[in-house]
Amino acid sequence: MRRHTRRVFNLCYRFTGNSTSAEDLSQEVFLRIFRTLPSYQSSQGAFPTWLTSVTRNLLVDHYRRSRRDRMTDSIDDAMPQLEERHSPARMPDKLAQASELSAQLQRGLARLSPELREAVILRDLQGLDYAEIRGVLQVPEGTVKSRINRGRIELARILEEMGVRPA
Amino acid sequence: MDWNCTLTEERLSDFIEGALAPEDAAAFSAHTKTCAACAKLVAQVSGLVSRMQHTAPVKESPLLVGKILEATLGPRKRKPVSPGWFGWIPAIWHPRFAMGIVTVAASVVIVLHASGSPAARTSLNPVNLVRGANRQIHLTYAHGAKFVNGLRVVYEIQSRLSSQPESMSEPISVPATRPSGEPQPGQKQPSAEPHEKSQTVPHSNRRDGRGGAEMAVMLPNRFPSSSSISALRSSL
Ligand SMILES: [Zn+2]
Repeated sequence: MRRHTRRVFNLCYRFTGNSTSAEDLSQEVFLRIFRTLPSYQSSQGAFPTWLTSVTRNLLVDHYRRSRRDRMTDSIDDAMPQLEERHSPARMPDKLAQASELSAQLQRGLARLSPELREAVILRDLQGLDYAEIRGVLQVPEGTVKSRINRGRIELARILEEMGVRPA
Repeated sequence: MDWNCTLTEERLSDFIEGALAPEDAAAFSAHTKTCAACAKLVAQVSGLVSRMQHTAPVKESPLLVGKILEATLGPRKRKPVSPGWFGWIPAIWHPRFAMGIVTVAASVVIVLHASGSPAARTSLNPVNLVRGANRQIHLTYAHGAKFVNGLRVVYEIQSRLSSQPESMSEPISVPATRPSGEPQPGQKQPSAEPHEKSQTVPHSNRRDGRGGAEMAVMLPNRFPSSSSISALRSSL
């Protein structure tokens, strides 16, 4: 349970950049999982892949909703950055460094288009293979590969632009 | 093969993941040795990929699992997976049922007290006993309920998954540890048994005419002078 929760939460957090939204979305994911569990067939793929698909679909819904909201309200954009700036200060050095890196990565991801962002997150942060990602995104494997590739290159350029030292 | 910068970009992930055919990989490497821009891009992107793959997952709030359990199992009255198995566990931890047990214990103490047992005279004030027990019961109940719900989520997901092709009506056999043949013991009338006991136990002492024995009889139903008891009763 905790393993699945962490996976779902991380996918939501990396995509939205906001831990409150990520928690709300995680909750929604499991509610949907429970409602649709009786109709789940193993032909839909392994359970973790199905869980990821449900999460991803909710994230897309959420993205569309918040894009509409952003037309009238820009406060949301500032939230994740405030949150990140506060958290590393109280941590021990090594943890703070890792967390700072993680926060930079998060800001970089936020500037990536959602299409490329989700592909990179699924591949490099969630560790899915190409076939699994194809199952989640419902696009051909060639498209998956090219999105991951373009996403990585674009993210590297964004981070360079932000002045993040390459590892 | 005649390699160029566009190809480097297009095949970069294949190169990083070792998915290039040997001759392509050779041409790729040969190009990056002579092209500074491509060399820089390769270094940047492979560094980024390895950094991301070593990024630890973000820890969710410790409350999240609880919130999810509450959202999925809590307020929504779901049909229990197998009432015979899970039905009795919450019943045991249910405050009313547990209060019944404590009431019996308190009665026994009061009877002891009334019959002149010197050890019980000062240390076992029934009000304190009940008040402390009430707090303890709610803690125990909270832990018990959380544990049971956690079990239920894991169990429910896994049983549905494993019993996919077959019927889901009886996913697990009812274990023999069920306390009695009576359905839902303690849930329909949780205090029936304790009440009965608290009225019968002190009855034998009624002849003494001691106040303590009277208190024991009244404890479950009437004890209006004690605010903690009425608070307790309203919380049940
Ligand atoms: Zn080049």
